[in-house]
Amino acid sequence: MISLFVILLPVVVALLVSLGRGSSQFVRGMAFLGGVGTFAFALFLSGSEPFNAAWLPGIGVSFALDATGAGPVLVLVAALVMIPTLLVAATRVEQNAASFVVLLLLAQAGLNGIFLAKDLIVFYIFWEATLIPGLLLLGLFGGDKRREAATKYLVYAVAGSFLMLISILSLKALSGAASFHITDLMIATPALSASVQTWLFVGMAIGMAVKLPLWPLHSWLIDLNEQNHHSGAADVLGSLYKVGAFGFFAWALPLLPAGAERVAPILLILSAVTAVYGALAAIGQQHLKRFLAYGSLSHMGIIGVGLFGLHIAGLSGAIYFLAAQMVSTGALFLVAGMLYHRRRSFMLRDYGGLAKSAPALAAVSLFMIFAYIGVPGLSNFPGEFMALLGAFQTSAWAAGFATLAVIAAGVYGVNLFQKLFQGPTTVPTRDLSALELYVLVPFVAGVLWLGIAPAPQLRQIEQQASLVTLQMDRLAQAATADTQMLAAVPGGER
Amino acid sequence: MTFPPVLDIDWSTLAPALTLLITAVAALFFGLFHKDSRHVAIASLIGVGTAFLFALSRFLQPSDSVASFGLRYYGDTAALGFTFIILLGTALAILVSFDQLRRQDLERPEYYPLMLLSALGAIVMASAGDLITLVLGLEIMSLPVYALSAWRTGDRQSEEAGMKYFLLGAFGSAMLIYGIALLYGAGGTFVYEGLSQALAAGQLTLLATLGGGLVLVGLGFKAAMAPFHQWAPDVYTGAPTPVVTFMSVVIKVAAFAALLRVIGTVFPQLGAWVLLALAIMVAATLIIGNFSALMQRGVKRILAYSAVAHAGYLGLALLAPDNGGTAAAAFYLTAYALMNAGAFAVLSLMTDANDRGDDLERFAGLGRKRPWLAAALTFFLLSLGGIPPLAGFAGKVLVFQAVIEAGWIWLGVLGILTSVVALVYYFRIIGYMYFRESEYEPPRLRSTATNVAIGFALVGTVLFGLFPGLWHDLLRVSQTLVAGL
Repeated sequence: MISLFVILLPVVVALLVSLGRGSSQFVRGMAFLGGVGTFAFALFLSGSEPFNAAWLPGIGVSFALDATGAGPVLVLVAALVMIPTLLVAATRVEQNAASFVVLLLLAQAGLNGIFLAKDLIVFYIFWEATLIPGLLLLGLFGGDKRREAATKYLVYAVAGSFLMLISILSLKALSGAASFHITDLMIATPALSASVQTWLFVGMAIGMAVKLPLWPLHSWLIDLNEQNHHSGAADVLGSLYKVGAFGFFAWALPLLPAGAERVAPILLILSAVTAVYGALAAIGQQHLKRFLAYGSLSHMGIIGVGLFGLHIAGLSGAIYFLAAQMVSTGALFLVAGMLYHRRRSFMLRDYGGLAKSAPALAAVSLFMIFAYIGVPGLSNFPGEFMALLGAFQTSAWAAGFATLAVIAAGVYGVNLFQKLFQGPTTVPTRDLSALELYVLVPFVAGVLWLGIAPAPQLRQIEQQASLVTLQMDRLAQAATADTQMLAAVPGGER
Repeated sequence: MTFPPVLDIDWSTLAPALTLLITAVAALFFGLFHKDSRHVAIASLIGVGTAFLFALSRFLQPSDSVASFGLRYYGDTAALGFTFIILLGTALAILVSFDQLRRQDLERPEYYPLMLLSALGAIVMASAGDLITLVLGLEIMSLPVYALSAWRTGDRQSEEAGMKYFLLGAFGSAMLIYGIALLYGAGGTFVYEGLSQALAAGQLTLLATLGGGLVLVGLGFKAAMAPFHQWAPDVYTGAPTPVVTFMSVVIKVAAFAALLRVIGTVFPQLGAWVLLALAIMVAATLIIGNFSALMQRGVKRILAYSAVAHAGYLGLALLAPDNGGTAAAAFYLTAYALMNAGAFAVLSLMTDANDRGDDLERFAGLGRKRPWLAAALTFFLLSLGGIPPLAGFAGKVLVFQAVIEAGWIWLGVLGILTSVVALVYYFRIIGYMYFRESEYEPPRLRSTATNVAIGFALVGTVLFGLFPGLWHDLLRVSQTLVAGL
């Protein structure tokens, strides 16, 4: 039941906020309560009772949620990040903060649904529904070019996810599975012929690659981040809503192993390209948010490399990295918002030497940048390392190429800190206010937690990652069985 | 096979239709003595409610007899399900008309009786088990709507709409009747079941195939399927918005109910030919409807072409009558009735008294000026676009699942790809409402009745989206009744 609560609670709080939108005091209080309440539920999520109710029994859809595997870890990290984000939204958005908070809460409910759904249609429902709050946040609160960015986002996301829907619906029709529940599907779908699996996998992969995002389907992300509200709160949501990797991990790879085996090498190369392209593009950016967007694109590339290596260490590492990047990327977007609050600019050339007047801000930012570029002992390192390590087992070339992104990360990380905080002082700046300090504390805690004690979370993730490797092994065994059988047939040897 | 004698009448199958007939006649006299059309509207609503109760009582206690007049008039789950949707659409249209008629200076006593008669025809069409009953229903439904389309006398656009609709509609009816004559020539009977058996027994003739094709064309006209959709945008733009609310829902439901039954029984005997023609029609409807909507600047025209596009999605369900297509279509029609009537209801509050002024620019900044109205329209548009968790999404999933299971994967793919286009134009309206500053003061029009209609449609759109299983489970029974009887 707790898995249902982490979805329902944000929705209920969102309804309350929209009813009491007149009082900013009430909105702030509810935003905080909603964030903390969801986090509290998320703490007890792991291993809680699964939830199952008939939804559309006519075509075998049940509203099935289960908090096993990677899902509860992602929900917990997302809930941790949402507490300060909601606070920022409730306090830093000048006009119509209530709507901002409502949309954030609805998106959080949708995200939790994505991570916990065990029925493929229900997963799709949450996947698609979460698009709308993000889109409205951009359109209602974004910058001057928000309409173009919103249209781009809409077209990319919808075109991708509708293709995914075709695959999902065909999956059951063609395999004859009893329902859309993961257990029913996993029995039936690997029996599909390799070519059918490939087509279905491609359909799903396009939808998921848009939201991973992978080069060349990434450009919506950069515009989205650039145009989103300057507080950075909507960008945090953006970094949570990169659920493509989770889609591959939880659905596409285990359901269609033969398709995955054929397509994964291509996706592996695309991921490696994404990783290096993102890192190189970040170095050249002048706009702080575009910079962070490209940096995080590079991270997503490494996550892809981990996934499509199809090795258990890489798979687990990729999802751990997915959870970890929520914290560091989210924190840096909020820092960007704080800087904008002081100077009304996102251009890097307008900054410099802030460390003298704002030492605390500089220190926290340095810490977050270290986490962001994957310094050992901090949140991004374990996942990044394992993702690359896993990929090395299957394709040393692609993994080696992707490692260039890690080296480049050192360059752009240091670069960023220098441009913002070092060098000649431009204008003295206020240091962290009390509110900003409170906002950043959960992030610091998250970075340390995920960096120092990764083992428990990784165990949970590995449990689900083994589903993928299990299916791949079954596939390999079936292939060897085939060759053995052929060898036994007289004249069947090739 | 012998059929029961002609005059076996199960009055409970006829009760909903008869109630509407009596209400229409009574309302006509009532209207002569009451200047205020709102009293007639209330009387009509009571009639619709009574018809609903009759249908409901039969739905809850199914009797052994499924039809009257020897399988010529059905009262099965499918017929009742469609009756519910028709009554729902009629009730919403009456609520939308409630204050609009006076505001737009359209108050004349015949308005509501005509609407009720048209709904009666629609119910007859949905219940028909015989080609003659079908034609009767079609004509009873169509004639009042021709008059209603031209209700704004003296207005060129409205009169043109009525005239165009009448001429093209007559053409469609003629095709249908000609097709029926050919089918009768081939099978020797009008009753679907008898016809199906006769055709199955004998050799397939060109006569029968041609007849089936013409029936398809005739009903395709009413359903606004390409290439017979051209009347729809002009009529939707020219006719008064409350009338459009009515016809966009009720006529579509009746046309598809009739198509489902004919295709489920007669068409399987006509060879793959006719089904392929239908598939091509559906594909054309999806492409033309969606891409034409993308080009429009007026919201009413966008919704008109979107109604054409939705005929395409419903057409997908026609291709899968055995694979849950009937239940899928009925569910989709329910969702469509709610979200489309809701959208037109919002539109009726936005346009000028002469129904002009539905340009996209008018909607700029509506999110700030009329937040509730804009929010409601957003929900309807998202549902039309198939965004979960709203009713339109569940409908789309059911329809696509049915058509893919029936083996028409390419049509499913086409349907989903055109849905991307659809979302772009629906979202354009939402973008205008929320992402732009207003340059225009929207009319300060308030109507409690229209608000009730909007609220009802909104609650329905959300509830059928959140809990689609409840209604779909009830409809699923009808699958066997239509296909296997």
